[in-house]
Amino acid sequence: MIPFDDILAGSGILFAVGTFGVLTRRNFILLLISVEIIMNTAILNFIAFSAYAPGPSILGVTGQAVAVVLVGLAATEVAVGLAIVLALNRVRGSVDVAKAMDLKL
Amino acid sequence: MTAPVPPLAYLPEILTLVAALGVFLLDTLGVRRRAAFGAWTTVFLAAAFVSVLADLGVPGLGGLATLPSSYLTAGAVGPVVFTALGLVFQAIFLSAGILVAFASLSDPDDEVGIPMFYGLLGLATLGTLLVALSADLVFLLLSVEVTGISTYVLVGYTRRDPRALEASMKFYIIGALSTATSFFGASLLYGAYHTTSLATIAQGLPPDASLALVGFGILAVGLGFKVTAVPFHMWAVDVYDGAPSTVSAFLAAGSKKMGIFAYFVVFVAVTRLFAGPQGWPLYIALGGLAVTTMTVGNILALQQKTLKRMLAYSSISQAGYMLLGIAVDTPSTLSGATLLVAAHVLMKGGAFLVVAALAQIGLGARIDDLRGLGYSHPILAGSFSVLLLSLAGIPGTFGFMGKFYIFAGAIEAGGLFILLAVVGLLNSALSVFYYARILKIVYMSDEAPAPSQESGAALHRSLTHSSQGVASPPPRGIPGLGRIAAEIRAAGAARWIAIVAAAVLTVALGIYPTPLVHAFNAAATQFWSLGY
Amino acid sequence: MTPETLLMAVLLGIAVVTALLALLAREVVHTIIWIGGFFVTLSAIYFVLYAAFLGVLQLAVYAGAVTILLLFAVMVIKKRIFVREAGAGVGPVPILLALALGAVLVALAAGVPGGTAYSAYDVTALSANLFTRNGAWLLLLGLVMLSALAGSIHLAREMRGAPSPPRGGVP
Repeated sequence: MIPFDDILAGSGILFAVGTFGVLTRRNFILLLISVEIIMNTAILNFIAFSAYAPGPSILGVTGQAVAVVLVGLAATEVAVGLAIVLALNRVRGSVDVAKAMDLKL
Repeated sequence: MTAPVPPLAYLPEILTLVAALGVFLLDTLGVRRRAAFGAWTTVFLAAAFVSVLADLGVPGLGGLATLPSSYLTAGAVGPVVFTALGLVFQAIFLSAGILVAFASLSDPDDEVGIPMFYGLLGLATLGTLLVALSADLVFLLLSVEVTGISTYVLVGYTRRDPRALEASMKFYIIGALSTATSFFGASLLYGAYHTTSLATIAQGLPPDASLALVGFGILAVGLGFKVTAVPFHMWAVDVYDGAPSTVSAFLAAGSKKMGIFAYFVVFVAVTRLFAGPQGWPLYIALGGLAVTTMTVGNILALQQKTLKRMLAYSSISQAGYMLLGIAVDTPSTLSGATLLVAAHVLMKGGAFLVVAALAQIGLGARIDDLRGLGYSHPILAGSFSVLLLSLAGIPGTFGFMGKFYIFAGAIEAGGLFILLAVVGLLNSALSVFYYARILKIVYMSDEAPAPSQESGAALHRSLTHSSQGVASPPPRGIPGLGRIAAEIRAAGAARWIAIVAAAVLTVALGIYPTPLVHAFNAAATQFWSLGY
Repeated sequence: MTPETLLMAVLLGIAVVTALLALLAREVVHTIIWIGGFFVTLSAIYFVLYAAFLGVLQLAVYAGAVTILLLFAVMVIKKRIFVREAGAGVGPVPILLALALGAVLVALAAGVPGGTAYSAYDVTALSANLFTRNGAWLLLLGLVMLSALAGSIHLAREMRGAPSPPRGGVP
């Protein structure tokens, strides 16, 4: 039997790692990866809470249903991000895009 | 009550979806004219607007209603709920969509991606409509994402302007971060309640209250990115500045207001749930969010040199007033915030359209370039002045009503909320300075507008398009019909009509707001007691 | 300590370490490799949590598709893939903020009553939930994907008569 708070603590630490990335990294790819880490933390939480949910099965599995939707959502988002980068790459040259992607606050 | 909703009750959403999909269909059929796409979108959004008004029971439209009125009081049906306030917000979102779709008829005809602009505009509007229906956290956040994805692309849809694409990239990262953070908060709430239904969440505290408290807090942060609340406002101004002005108008009028309503839905019951000292962190966070947002937005707006950035910062500070409505959380402040949201659609949407008109006329982007606009383009300048006065909250305009009800409600609530109201009033006074500065430049200077250096290309374009009097110092006095016609040509006919309509509505609703105020009060009271 | 507990602790540890390494790697391609490892680790965690379907989905979508998409993004923007990132100086404030956030969440986890009533669901229950009670979510996901599809096609397709991007970038 896995203690539930272990998983929750792990996801909390992962969320902090993602936040650290968002706060310190300024490169588009790294920011995107930080966001993906946070998104995965949310998915992990949903699955963990679903595994420990009391009550009838059809309700308890809701967390897994959310996780399925979130995996699809995250992949969609990354695809749009890539499309934006491609469009920027066409207007600017490669080198300049790399510069533009070092986002400044 | 769990009777299934009749499918026709979703008529506004269906019409909006048809607007979006029809644009893509017209595109594949070989239609290339902007007028066709624009008219299609405007007509369908207007039909959806009428349908929402009919569902709300507006007199004269009763026969058109497709939603049985019993659903308005029934509570949640599965993941959706029909509330009067939700329908009011749907009407507000649709008016933002209509304003932008109609005004964009004046955008250049040879742009790349015209069908995509209208299609994504329709999908973004659809997302906002679904937010107003949601009674389920995941449903709510997914609807926010429909609008989100559409607007990321919309910001860079011209594909030629590197600044717009960079803005698109920044908006995308912020939006993705907002989504991820919101879902993390939602996962904690799911852990605390074992359900994602807002109807259950509004009913009471779960056994593990601290988990729910942190969940609500993180959700507030995630949605804070959407409403550009202040610690999370980074790049918002770059996005508004870099996007085409018509898109900025939709971002300020449509997608940001969607975030405000998401705040309403999630947090309206929270104050009652966490009654007592347990909830203090959350009250302080929400109140602090509202106050810092309005103050920082105002102070930064004071320092701006370009019109668009100034409008963007003032939009941030206006979001602060709306957040004050949910931080105090009484029926009166909610109704006030709704009034302010409705006013803001007209004011900020209209103001960003004025920026688009000025760019077409050939004036520079700096505030100083507006010198003498009041004499060269009297009606445009007059409408712009009305919109700015309303943004400043001058009595007699629509913008005043919302602020009045929010501050009055906060003072009525007593306690520390009075302090919030005082800070809000001081901010309101502060904001008059920068709006008045623009009015002074528009009217007090005698010279003709001096085109700035960077606007040379735009000026050249406008001169070749229409040879009306930018260069020649226009005569003073009552404008003749000929000059008005020239002004309309210079600003773009549809855009000019949209701006003037926004200004006229701002004044009309400011002078006679009674029916609207009554309707909003009733809707807000029902929403408040339902709790989601 | 049961073997399962140990396994979960090790997996969570690997997840945290790979995530940190992905963010701190000096070369972008290494970042992609580490994040791929992170996704695979999470997939293993889902298997241990009796969510086998989600584990497979995580492998297919995240470890497969998303990692490759990220690699594409790197290849598009860098002429040479092995480019060192400018090591941005990290101030104390973000680290402290992240540490505080982590501490709050871990403390929160410690306070959660350790539930034991966990059960494995079969895919039938999952699909029953997803296609009946919560069918609206799939509908909305479809709308999200529709706008993403339209938007990405529009942004990524070739422009008619557009000038090719200048070599070496615009000043």
